[in-house]
Amino acid sequence: MKLRKALVALVLVIAACGTNADTSSIPDLAEVSTDAIITSIREAGRPAVVNVWASWCGPCRSEAPLLAAASSEYRNTVEFIGLNVRDSPENAKGFIAEFFGDAAIRHVADNDGSVVADLGGTTGVPLTFFMNADASVARIHFGVIDERTLALEVDELVRATGG
Amino acid sequence: MEFTLLFAAAMAFAAGVAALRWEAARGNAADCARDMGEILLTAAVVGLFVGRLAAMVGSGVNPLTSPMDILIVRGGVAIGPASLAAMLTVAFAARGELVAVADAVAVAALAALGGWQFGCLPREACLGSPTDLPWSMTQPGSAIGRHPVELYAAGIYLLAAAALAVVRKRRLPPGLAAATALTVAAAGRLATEPLRPSLGGGPVWWYIAGIVAGIGTAAWAMQRQSISSPAPAGPEP
Repeated sequence: MKLRKALVALVLVIAACGTNADTSSIPDLAEVSTDAIITSIREAGRPAVVNVWASWCGPCRSEAPLLAAASSEYRNTVEFIGLNVRDSPENAKGFIAEFFGDAAIRHVADNDGSVVADLGGTTGVPLTFFMNADASVARIHFGVIDERTLALEVDELVRATGG
Repeated sequence: MEFTLLFAAAMAFAAGVAALRWEAARGNAADCARDMGEILLTAAVVGLFVGRLAAMVGSGVNPLTSPMDILIVRGGVAIGPASLAAMLTVAFAARGELVAVADAVAVAALAALGGWQFGCLPREACLGSPTDLPWSMTQPGSAIGRHPVELYAAGIYLLAAAALAVVRKRRLPPGLAAATALTVAAAGRLATEPLRPSLGGGPVWWYIAGIVAGIGTAAWAMQRQSISSPAPAGPEP
């Protein structure tokens, strides 16, 4: 009986871990337009990985740590942009605090999904655009991205840029 | 997207079962091919589950608050815990006759690994680091030639499975086939790791640990054999 109580307590403690992250340091996400995204990539002069995510999307949770790690590794060669779609500001900030931490990813909001549509994406999330330094879309990955695919696509972008 | 992974898993299972049946037909695995197939399948499923769970915990996703995320296999599977869990499952399923069962599934396990790696073709996931070699492959729309690294690994595992099946026809010391399979499985992955696209670098220590464990087990098996069957006595003086 004691063992069962201890197990229940353990499960509750584990379940409570990692939730309600502090969002006070996370700024509100600015609404962005397709032109603004394209201009920012061209001005940066380097390829970009634009990941489309939402806090209500389970698969986005699975790939977020990978994107955070990749953004740190390619900090100097590739720009990482998080495009939050159809989400509430508070939930989006909670997601960033919990899964992206201090990753080198610039998050913006695309509440109606128009930027995603303009770039050739669909309404499904997650979705990742691999964009050349001239802001043309090199490739679109639909669904959860794995480490191998992410590393390969980023390598393709960097080599195509001559990096 | 997950269906391509399922297809690769089906190729692995088919290769494993085919190896078991081939071995049974050659008298290597007696009449227990179906049981061995069940053990291999169970080990693969348990390994996948534990590996996915470990990957979730490792990347900060709480499996209790997000239990359905365990199904998102593409989100990552931790190879070390997965392999360990698969081997422990085989050990549990074969308790009492562990060495015999491990030997019996050794060839099939290598063949299944080869089948899984070969499954990169439907997954469109064969490509590795850039190369100018004539057999390099390119992504659609790209001019950068790349090593078909998963096919290299598939070749290593399938050739090793065939070689081990041939060698097993001779009487090997109990445990040696399983130890060889473990060594080859880890060495094949270690050898191809530098050619695989990855962030930072793969879990190389797990592969080295696998090689060490395999060689250690092989040494134990050979020593055990030499103790149990001493060299024939020379002529009486």
